[in-house]
Amino acid sequence: MNARADVRAGVNETTAKATETTLLDPRFYTTDFDALDRIDVTPVRAEWDRLIAEMRSDPNRNHFRKTEAWDATDWESMDPQLRRELVDFMVSSLTAEFSGCVLYKEMKRRGSNPDICELFNYMARDEARHAGFINDALREAGIAVNLGFLTKAKKYTYFRPKFIYYATYLSEKIGYARYITIYRHLEKHPERIIHPIFKWFEQWCNDEFRHGEAFALLMRTDPRLTQSLSSRLWIRFFLVAVFSVMYVRDHARPAFHEALGIEIGAYDHEVFRKTGEIARQVFPVEIDIDNPRWQAGLERLRRAMLAMDRARRRGGIAGFLGRMAAGARSAAAFAGLYLIPVRRSVPPTNPRLVPSY
Amino acid sequence: MGLFTKAAETVPCTVEVSHRFESLHAHVRFNNGAVVHPGDEVLVHGAPVTAGYGELVVEDRVATITRASLLERLWTKLTGDLEAMELCEFSFSEEAMP
Repeated sequence: MNARADVRAGVNETTAKATETTLLDPRFYTTDFDALDRIDVTPVRAEWDRLIAEMRSDPNRNHFRKTEAWDATDWESMDPQLRRELVDFMVSSLTAEFSGCVLYKEMKRRGSNPDICELFNYMARDEARHAGFINDALREAGIAVNLGFLTKAKKYTYFRPKFIYYATYLSEKIGYARYITIYRHLEKHPERIIHPIFKWFEQWCNDEFRHGEAFALLMRTDPRLTQSLSSRLWIRFFLVAVFSVMYVRDHARPAFHEALGIEIGAYDHEVFRKTGEIARQVFPVEIDIDNPRWQAGLERLRRAMLAMDRARRRGGIAGFLGRMAAGARSAAAFAGLYLIPVRRSVPPTNPRLVPSY
Repeated sequence: MGLFTKAAETVPCTVEVSHRFESLHAHVRFNNGAVVHPGDEVLVHGAPVTAGYGELVVEDRVATITRASLLERLWTKLTGDLEAMELCEFSFSEEAMP
């Protein structure tokens, strides 16, 4: 999920210490709330009740506390580029959690179906808790969030429910795969733990995993959501889009990954592999990430996005033409990725999974 | 609601901003049960709601909902889907790092 964040430098009068303010600017969505209310979880009732009971018991209620494992971070002497990228990583995680919270809360508030309302209530709780935890870590780095967006005019955009399912399902599952992959890597290389927040990732990402499970069950309530031809084509679109955007974004944080001892290409491939394996629980198509065209296409897309960025900075007519050319290149690269033949699979009768990586 | 005309309505609302360790969130609730539709715009009146660290602020405010015209609502419904990618953490719209 996404929200824009502007980082502004300023001086905190009370401490006379330089601070930066990040203005959170989440998007606001509406959807077909009547369709949400019509969801009937009867076909997956047993699994649904088990999952909701788990969320109700709130297994992570004591996890997000700073213990003695939370050692101090020396922000002052950190390499400036690493600091910038680490902060960027935390701010984008925070805005993702925060926007999830806004969306889930809205769905809970507008709905009247008790099953759906209870689910969204727990998911909003988890996201707000995660956001609060990251916010505290950012404060230690001298970065404050500004929640003043409420008094600015907000336009509500619209998504079909099924697009919310695809996008949030993938967002939660890929979030799990990213966090657990980093955590397992740092388990083997504890000298690379550049910030204590990574030590919290193992249990943290189980929340993401559970949220993904809920969307998997929701999609199982109606076979048309995943089995029809148009659904399969859209699922394919979301898989390619989520994977390729992650690839481009991760490559924009070289110092961050180097400090963690993570090779970005291999890490991304591993995250795609895990996410693809997990998504077999509900999606009948899977991206063939071992096809040589996949890696080549990702690189083409990344170079096109870099060209886009350069053109944007150049401005003027040359910049405009450059943006057009880069836009065409990235569209072609994306289409190339989309057209790689997918692997077909048959989702199992019981979709439930437990985190096992 | 006309095909082209917008209408504005003023509604009482409650804003809740939590700037606490255990929860960072911010929400608006319309107290009269008003419902926002695609393309509508919401503006909460008054100064920005500022919650210091550790604070939970709950305030009654007034909001203006500017209703989208019929055409705009239809347009938002048709095009909104294309923005669905924004639901994902990694968005094309973000600027690359300097």
